[in-house]
Amino acid sequence: MCQHVESTEINCLLCKNVRLLICLCSPFRCRSLPAQRKIYMRSPPIPEMATQEVQLNETLAHLKTESETLKSKLEEERAKLHDVELHQVAEKVEGLGQFVMKTRRTLKGHGNKVLCMDWCKDKRRIVSSSQDGKVIVWDAFTTNKEHAVTMPCTWVMACAYAPSGCAVACGGLDNKCSVYPLSLDKNENLAAKKKSVAMHTNYLSACSFTNSDMQILTSSGDGTCALWDVESGQLLQSFHGHAADVLCLDLAPSETGNTFVSGGCDKKANVWDMRSGQCIQSFETHESDINSVRYYPSGDAFASGSDDATCRLYDLRADREVAIYSKESIIFGVSSVDFSLSGRLLFGGYNDYTINVWDVLKGTRVSILFGHENRVSTLRVSPDGTAFCTGSWDHTLRIWA
Amino acid sequence: MQNLLCTNPSFSPVLIHNFSLLSFIYSVALPRMSSKAHSSNNIAHARRTVQQLRIEASIERIKVSKASADLMNYCSEHARNDPLLMGIPASDNPFKDKKPCTIL
Repeated sequence: MCQHVESTEINCLLCKNVRLLICLCSPFRCRSLPAQRKIYMRSPPIPEMATQEVQLNETLAHLKTESETLKSKLEEERAKLHDVELHQVAEKVEGLGQFVMKTRRTLKGHGNKVLCMDWCKDKRRIVSSSQDGKVIVWDAFTTNKEHAVTMPCTWVMACAYAPSGCAVACGGLDNKCSVYPLSLDKNENLAAKKKSVAMHTNYLSACSFTNSDMQILTSSGDGTCALWDVESGQLLQSFHGHAADVLCLDLAPSETGNTFVSGGCDKKANVWDMRSGQCIQSFETHESDINSVRYYPSGDAFASGSDDATCRLYDLRADREVAIYSKESIIFGVSSVDFSLSGRLLFGGYNDYTINVWDVLKGTRVSILFGHENRVSTLRVSPDGTAFCTGSWDHTLRIWA
Repeated sequence: MQNLLCTNPSFSPVLIHNFSLLSFIYSVALPRMSSKAHSSNNIAHARRTVQQLRIEASIERIKVSKASADLMNYCSEHARNDPLLMGIPASDNPFKDKKPCTIL
């Protein structure tokens, strides 16, 4: 039996009326077991087909062959431009020296696994959310807690700070994304001012404000991403294309335009146009669920971290994977990735409780950091790049510099 | 392998056999469809896939050597502004502890 199963008798998230012996829904799925497959319920076998059926089948076969041809054409086009590897081009770049990064602050206060965190643009405040439903806003310099909200659900898997610093958004098993305006008055009950913005049909896995406080982008276990207007709660655009749960998303840096990338349990990372809702590029080289995606600071590439224990760099203009960050000794999945300010360093939080620091250009590991006592679930570099923060299942957050 | 049967739209009690694997059941919310509707669904899905592939095949691409060079240039241009890469003096980093002052 997997040791990560929390309880053997809980309500199924899908068939809410039925108590199952073991809940098999994805938030409780053990990620350390290889490639868990979902069983899709198939409708009963199709009876004898009429002639119309035969015609439809021919069209289907025709479409299938066309899609196969297109796929191989795509591979061909991509391979034509693959003249050199990134690490070969980077041989002439100076190597990096030794890095000494230590835990500078430990934020204690969560009663259960920390699942997500985000920095405020003031480079000082942090919002974090945990399995027990608590969302806490910290001052990272002093380690004081500034605000605390208790969500009505457990497993708050997503939280985000608004660009203005005046609100936080969070959500999880409640299938919603709620926005809480932060007030200066510490005694005010934040929960009273809560505004429900997004509504999905399955758990919320990630959320992010766009350039303003007015719009939120969310991704969900129902396989879709969506863009919402905060004020009215209206759905502005939805993004369909993933064949399974979407686990993460990241918006392109504001200078480079209106796109975002999402990664999911279907092993695909998709790049979307926010205005049209169209998927413009898709990458499928990972061997397992993609847990985290992050844009390169220039916006021309993005990195992904997956349960297959590798991080990969995909270049958007070359339309292919250009680097893999892996080692034979690393067998545990990556839960979160982020770049340093220049994009030279890639930080990865792993399920084996460590943080590996990679040289993005050369593809080598420059450092491994220890400190957490359980798996690292979230990792973000601060907006000015002076430090990065990690959250872990050991109930703490650590600031490293 | 265990079978969890969930018939839609009303969720009736499930049959559970012994669990040897953990797997995730995702019930597809389709009413009982006629075989024709089922096929046309497949066709619609296939059409969407073909359309998507057409869009992806038609985008402009550049060589990996050019893309790599651009990534390298970006790194070198911004390297000196990267505190985690270059290391900044403890006095500038709010997270690093300052050296204790000695009282003369």
